[in-house]
Amino acid sequence: MLKVFGFVRRGDALTHDEYRAAHVGYHNSFGRRLNNIRGYVLNVRANASIESTLGPLATRITRNEPAAFDDLWSGWGQLLFDSLEHYLSAKTPARDKPGPNGLEDDARVASVGGDGPWLYRGSPFQFMVTEHVAVPVRRPERKIFKLTQFTKRRADLPEELFKSYVSGRYATRLTELSGLRGLIMNFRTPLDVMSRFFEPESDGFTTTGIAEREHFYQAWDCITELWFDRAPQYVAARAQAPLAEQLDTLEEELFAAAWYREVDETVVVNPNRSPAPAFYFR
Amino acid sequence: MFKVFAFLKRNARLTHDEYRAAHVGYHCGTSRRLRGIRGYTVNVWANEPLRPRLGALAEDIIRHEPAGFLDLWDGFPSVIFDSYQAWITAQQAEPTRAMEGGLSIDPDWTYSHGCHVFDGLPDRPGEFRSYHLRMNEHIVLPVERPERKLTKLVLFFKRKANLREFDFERQVLTAYAPTLARLPGLHGCLLNFRDPDQEAAFRGYYPDTAWWSSAEGYAMRRQFCSMWDGAFELLFDSVDAFVAARGRAEMHVSLGALERELFDANWYVEVDENIIVMPNRDPAPAFYYR
Repeated sequence: MLKVFGFVRRGDALTHDEYRAAHVGYHNSFGRRLNNIRGYVLNVRANASIESTLGPLATRITRNEPAAFDDLWSGWGQLLFDSLEHYLSAKTPARDKPGPNGLEDDARVASVGGDGPWLYRGSPFQFMVTEHVAVPVRRPERKIFKLTQFTKRRADLPEELFKSYVSGRYATRLTELSGLRGLIMNFRTPLDVMSRFFEPESDGFTTTGIAEREHFYQAWDCITELWFDRAPQYVAARAQAPLAEQLDTLEEELFAAAWYREVDETVVVNPNRSPAPAFYFR
Repeated sequence: MFKVFAFLKRNARLTHDEYRAAHVGYHCGTSRRLRGIRGYTVNVWANEPLRPRLGALAEDIIRHEPAGFLDLWDGFPSVIFDSYQAWITAQQAEPTRAMEGGLSIDPDWTYSHGCHVFDGLPDRPGEFRSYHLRMNEHIVLPVERPERKLTKLVLFFKRKANLREFDFERQVLTAYAPTLARLPGLHGCLLNFRDPDQEAAFRGYYPDTAWWSSAEGYAMRRQFCSMWDGAFELLFDSVDAFVAARGRAEMHVSLGALERELFDANWYVEVDENIIVMPNRDPAPAFYYR
């Protein structure tokens, strides 16, 4: 499947919690109607700091976190489509609006509600990832703890080996974490998924916009999603010997930098990785 | 929690598949922003008839299905709220839209399209027929959803006339449900008894003068409710997985015996479950969350 991440910074007139309401509320109400969308998850940075959530463990497992990283994003959406063609044609009018004469096209889906100028500061940093599903996530009917790990490849490690080792040895070790509900690694790719998705006059195509995006990309190469029932489960599991030392060693070997954030996950469209049904389905 | 099933028939101008798009797409773009909503699925009956896919099992596990049951509805949303109070105030708009002045109440948030999705009432502009019913839920096996479409089967049942309501519910809860929950391959099992108060979900949510309180509204609801007293929601990987599980000899005998003892009628409907708001049964976070 085609998986695209879009990191966004909240609009200047919004607090973080107001941004949540606007993104999760109005914006996602249009985003979930994008044509042919197969999955849509929104991750909003948790209000609590990672230090308060993970305690002393946060400091122990964090290495070389870039300064002011959180100034670069408030949340990010994860979109799943069957193909690049579907993704690029998703923002077109949706024929799902009921009217007095039956179904009509709704042009507002083409602009995803048209709230971008106020919801975001600048354009999203939008990129494709290749994913490695190490443990398929199963979501219960309650809010669970989602931890994301940002990692940067060691400069002396070739890119292909990095991907191979992270999705291999490292992922295998992580699956030993007690209480793990799901584990997915996402490697950023250089494929341009912005040009035919955003308007040519968007901020993301200005010199400043490109520079900001590149600055953000310089910080990391892989984002790993981990799900647990509760944060203390992860804290206990990550501190458990001998796994703790084994993971420490691998992280030293693979990552020039590694840091963590808790996100509040909204399942806007539960990803359906099976073939699409022959009817409208979300 | 306060749980409501709302059985809805499509507008006559829509095909069943067009109704899916209108309900799951446009309509849910509005309704997922109901204030305080804690969980929301839309269940649309599947296009392919279930009975032939059950094979020989159908003869044993379907008993006295009411004729034309699926003519009465095309889909049913299942919504959960923290309380009755939360339910009846759900339509009070709250700020969810970023606009020039900051976070605002969406001026375009409206339910006026409802009569074009559902069974509109020409003599009552903007209104539509529906069976909104409060369900008293018991979680037999908590649902866990993978990232793929599951098969959802709804087992409707009608209480045997000679059983008192209390005894019936107790036996379904303590004998039938635990047996059913042992079916291999089950991803979740929810038991819902229809609240005896058939107006519980209408009262306070819709105006007192709305269709639900008309003579036709009462009569249609009484008729619909006379067909069934509750429903199980069962999630499997596929119909085949259900057939394999339900057909196992020991399960087949024990469930069959209980069905004959407890139900005057029991039948299955396969529905395509659309998850609009992933249910969160934990206390609500202190921020906007869906």
